Amino acid sequence: MLKYLIKRVLWMIPMLVGISLISFFIMHLAPGDITNNEAAFNPKASEESRQKLREMYNLDKPVIVQYGLWLKRMATLDFGNSFASHQKPVFWQKTDKEGNVTKGMIQEALPITLLINVLGLVITLTLAIPLGVIAARNHMGWQDKSITLFNFIGFSIPGFWLSLLLMYWLGVVNDWLPISGIHSLNYESLSTWGKIKDTLSHLMMPVIIPSITGLAGITLFIKNGMLDVLQQDYITTARAKGLNEHRVVYTHALRNALLPLITIIGLSIPGLIGGSVIAETIFAIPGMGKLFYDAVLMRDFPVVMGVLTIGAALTLIGNLLADIAYAWADPRVRRGVVRN
Amino acid sequence: MNFDLFKKTLANPLALAGFIIILCILMLALFAPVFSPYDPNEIDVKSILLAPSSMHWMGTDGLGRDVFSRMLYGGRVSLLVGLVAVGISTAIGIVLGALAGYYRGWVDTLIMRLVDIMLSIPSFFLILAVIAFLTPSIINIMIVIGLTSWMGVTRLVRAEFLSLNEREFVLASRTLGAEDFRLIFTHLLPNSLTPIIVSSVLGVASAVLLESGLSFLGLGVQPPQASWGNILTDGKEYIQFAWWLSLFPGLSILVTVLGYNLLGEGLRDALDPRSGSNK
Repeated sequence: MLKYLIKRVLWMIPMLVGISLISFFIMHLAPGDITNNEAAFNPKASEESRQKLREMYNLDKPVIVQYGLWLKRMATLDFGNSFASHQKPVFWQKTDKEGNVTKGMIQEALPITLLINVLGLVITLTLAIPLGVIAARNHMGWQDKSITLFNFIGFSIPGFWLSLLLMYWLGVVNDWLPISGIHSLNYESLSTWGKIKDTLSHLMMPVIIPSITGLAGITLFIKNGMLDVLQQDYITTARAKGLNEHRVVYTHALRNALLPLITIIGLSIPGLIGGSVIAETIFAIPGMGKLFYDAVLMRDFPVVMGVLTIGAALTLIGNLLADIAYAWADPRVRRGVVRN
Repeated sequence: MNFDLFKKTLANPLALAGFIIILCILMLALFAPVFSPYDPNEIDVKSILLAPSSMHWMGTDGLGRDVFSRMLYGGRVSLLVGLVAVGISTAIGIVLGALAGYYRGWVDTLIMRLVDIMLSIPSFFLILAVIAFLTPSIINIMIVIGLTSWMGVTRLVRAEFLSLNEREFVLASRTLGAEDFRLIFTHLLPNSLTPIIVSSVLGVASAVLLESGLSFLGLGVQPPQASWGNILTDGKEYIQFAWWLSLFPGLSILVTVLGYNLLGEGLRDALDPRSGSNK
């Protein structure tokens, strides 16, 4: 187990190098010098900040040297400061000479996106597991068919359109839920309980809408997993022993059908992070997606590169955690009988 | 692609529905100039934000342009982007997958690691980052979507090649002295074609969704050229007074993507001997 873990962690190093190569390549896609690009699109860019940028990315040095230095900065998680937002540090807080702490942009945005995605995942799983089991137990029955139809629509519906419709219906027509931001204007004056309620009501739509669209994939996955597992010999044995059906399905079958779900959740992380762009933009949630989108619009170069790299690193960490969780949950892998 | 598979697929009512949807939308997009009652970009200040009527079937937008005509032309753009992007990603996927599956060894390792790396970068971020440094245009969008979605096809083609490589007819051909080129193009590739088609059909669905998302964010097809995504951007603007600007484009995206998903899944089911729908 330990050997597997060490191997798995070491494996991330070449991956990170590859990711850095790709982001470095994108950085050089821009025609000409990126500082020109920045000045052309961002009127706030002064000659001084452009000079800083040239120094920061060592644009006067050969490409190989530039890449080496970029890799070095990445390894120390130094993504520089934003152009557009008054030189705020991109990643983590910095303390200046007078002792003033300026929070990092990713530092502020990341917890919000993580919170939304974790809540969304909880909702998705709570709904998807029973739906998948029902579909598998009534394979080809009306329950299965309606769940299949629902899945197809879930796969096909544009999330931003669903957001618009619900925003209109729940927020504009009925005024049941707030439609933008994560706090109300009077947030500071609310009691602790009021603050929690306020935040939750703001997060309601941004959390629920992606869960609806994500539900389809997970439901289908659980259904297929259950169909596979229910055909296996040990399930027949369990039934032959005279266990009641409920026990067979929910304790014997489901446990094995859920195992691969760990990997699927790990693999869905880049989609979740990427998907946050549209949802956060529509509902004006100050998370990673909105940060990235705003940076793209303003050509705020350090922020784009920072979010891109951190997003990829998060995916790698997520996959690592998923693999560890899988190894922990599956005794066959844990005891080294089969390789994951 | 064999004819039996196609017949078997269309025997499935959901797949048939998907096929008909795709056909109708292709027709509407192809003959957009014939069907559209107005010039899609013609501004008419006297008929701003009119509700759907017999004059304007889907109403008019904030500049008085006919939404139905814009929808037809927008459909052209969405389908074009979807098809070309998938063409690009499939071509890349076939080449890389074939190289990896046929030559194996370090070529395989290198290509598969590249796939892993590409999969670990959130693709929507990657697309936005590239668009940020290039100018958004239809050509760039097609290329960028194509360049960021070839990983699935690569894995698929590689797996097909690996399993076909062990089959008797390939071994026989190799024993008879067939060259690599001949083996790949006459034996391995034609036999991998069906799963590639399935993944392309499903790929169009996600490319159409991606394009509409990008255009909705203002980083895709640029106005005044119509696309379903950028009509929805206007829809968001006028959501309080003009529901038709939001309803029709969204519905069109949904129906189109649904059509490709239904057909794609139907093909996959017909292909999979384990699936229960073999009637």
